[in-house]
Amino acid sequence: MATVSLKSINKWFDSSQVLYDISIDIEDKEFVVFVGPSGCGKTTLLRIVAGLEDVSSGEVEIDGIDVSSAHPIERGISMVFQSYALYPHLSVFENIAFPLRVAKTPKAKLQEMVMRAADILRLTDRLEHKPGQLSGGQRQRVAIGRSIVRQPKVFLFDEPLSNLDAALRGEMRVELSKLHKSLNATMIYVTHDQVEAMTMADRIMVLSEGKLEQFGTPMDLYHHPKTKFVAGFIGHPKMNFLTASCLSIDSDGVKVELPAIGKQLLPVEPIKVNQGEELEVGVRPEDLMLSETGKGLPLKVDVLERLGGSTLVYGSLDKYPNFCAMLQGDANVREGELVNLDVKPASFHVFDSNGNAMKRREVPEILK
Amino acid sequence: MERFTFVQKIFLYLGIAVFLTFMLLPFFEMFMASLRPLQHLFRSPYQFWSDDMSFQAYSDIWETVPLLGRYIFNSVFLASVTTFLCMMFVIPAAYSFARFKFKGKTISLGLFLGVNMFAGAVLLIPLYKLLRSMGLLNTYAAMFVPGAAFLVPTGIWLLKAYLEKIPIELEESAWIDGASRMYILRRVVLPLAVPGLIVVGVASFIGAYAQQFLFAITFNQKREYMPLPAGIFEFVGYQSVIWNQLMAASIVGIIPVLIIFLFLQKYLVKGLTKGAVKG
Ligand SMILES: Nc1ncnc2c1ncn2[C@@H]1O[C@H](COP(=O)(O)OP(=O)(O)OP(=O)(O)O)[C@@H](O)[C@H]1O
Ligand SMILES: [Mg+2]
Repeated sequence: MATVSLKSINKWFDSSQVLYDISIDIEDKEFVVFVGPSGCGKTTLLRIVAGLEDVSSGEVEIDGIDVSSAHPIERGISMVFQSYALYPHLSVFENIAFPLRVAKTPKAKLQEMVMRAADILRLTDRLEHKPGQLSGGQRQRVAIGRSIVRQPKVFLFDEPLSNLDAALRGEMRVELSKLHKSLNATMIYVTHDQVEAMTMADRIMVLSEGKLEQFGTPMDLYHHPKTKFVAGFIGHPKMNFLTASCLSIDSDGVKVELPAIGKQLLPVEPIKVNQGEELEVGVRPEDLMLSETGKGLPLKVDVLERLGGSTLVYGSLDKYPNFCAMLQGDANVREGELVNLDVKPASFHVFDSNGNAMKRREVPEILK
Repeated sequence: MERFTFVQKIFLYLGIAVFLTFMLLPFFEMFMASLRPLQHLFRSPYQFWSDDMSFQAYSDIWETVPLLGRYIFNSVFLASVTTFLCMMFVIPAAYSFARFKFKGKTISLGLFLGVNMFAGAVLLIPLYKLLRSMGLLNTYAAMFVPGAAFLVPTGIWLLKAYLEKIPIELEESAWIDGASRMYILRRVVLPLAVPGLIVVGVASFIGAYAQQFLFAITFNQKREYMPLPAGIFEFVGYQSVIWNQLMAASIVGIIPVLIIFLFLQKYLVKGLTKGAVKG
């Protein structure tokens, strides 16, 4: 059992504030990912949970007990660092055994626990090596081994995969997910890579400049981003944004004037906006299709990226130079050409001028 | 790819050769002088090489100055104790300066640097009074206590710089695993700091060896506690100086130190932090 609650956490470094009033509740055995661009405060927040950094105000609760000023060991957490932080003078065995040595575990028990961890992480034939003799992926696994051997209640990971190559990263992603299932523990995982976040998380917390943007399941974030920032951050390639002025608001949604297509009713639950106010309208590249009628958004194709299963089309649309569409298969378009793109009105995301989203009415059903 | 071109290399070696010549020529001459018979040294014209050279002086020294062995021992002993004592203070202090934030940190570091500017000689009289009131005059402690004190500031600066390079995550990781500060210092920091410790140790040892003379002749009058640089004065008689034996004794005195250095040298170059963090 391990729940983690963050209550109104603020953090200042000297005179600059890096975290603003962060509150979330993490459930037992949940895999939660903190995601956000570089410098948004992910590591700082994780270090606060770990007990390496004090909160300026607010509370950290683990299992309902306030641990804001408790030593890391009393919190029952273990942490894998952004750099692996292996002890270069100790063998792999001793690196994994380190927390047990600190806890003065009896020899036989220690041996058994280290071997079990090594077994899970496939390090059995590397136990006598020094970290310097290992590959990046192996070092990574040693660092994880050191964190699981103590059987903590909460695992903390700080961008553990950021230094691995793409293939290995994919592999480790799957392994970490498996590990999470087999260990049955609560995990908090920090990354700036939204793909990692989407693939591994039960729930994702998106941070931007020290502020919590949204906390929810991956599909929730994808289909119902609460802010323009989340909409732009989650999903790859990024969502396209257009500005459109609000023509009218009624119970069916908002009517806007879109470039090239003109008046369009978008089915969202309107929040208070004034007529004529400029709105941001977002559309994901994968929601765009080649139009068969010769109408729709006219895109002047600049660059094509053919991926086989899909084709990424980059070009300029009206006054928007970096518009992207993801077309199915090996689409029949050429660079320099003008193509027309169709979008379902329900696919549009609408944000007010502060970047707050209006709830969409018709979205694909989210599988649980 | 070669880092230097052929021409650059020639200049490099030429530079090293000039430097080494300046450094080593006195030692070479010292060695040659120790081989010559005494009257030979004052012969004119000066002969660099002659047939009557011998190692005679090396056996005579032990008779001219019967306590020579003791002096050599004292020298090494004093330098070792000074170094040890100095390190006992330097290690915790350097670690604190490298890792903790506290009031007066910069000021105290600056002060340490300032202390270094006072040569020991300036402080001899106050030190003498201090040692007398502590009853340390004419003991070994009279030499290694002030010796260590003067070496601590440099040691702190040197080791602090080294410790700062050890990734802090290693310590944080151990801290999270429940290790105490002392445990971290013992099991994580010091093993990784071995090259730095050796550098500081060697620097302290050299420093201790060099400053012995001053402290020995001011704070100690017991012959049996004298280190070599002071004891060697016994070769300077009322009538004459037995130069060849003096040189021989100096060389013999250096040998134990030289052996220690040759042994430690390989540790000085070895890097130990490989594989600690990514990249
Ligand atoms: N010890 C510190 N003292 C002062 N400022 C700090 C300190 N640690 C972090 N910061 C600042 O806090 C902000 C958040 O840093 P943090 O390391 O949490 O970012 P991050 O989201 O982990 O970024 P990255 O993805 O690059 O690792 C940054 O602006 C950083 O400059
Ligand atoms: Mg970080």
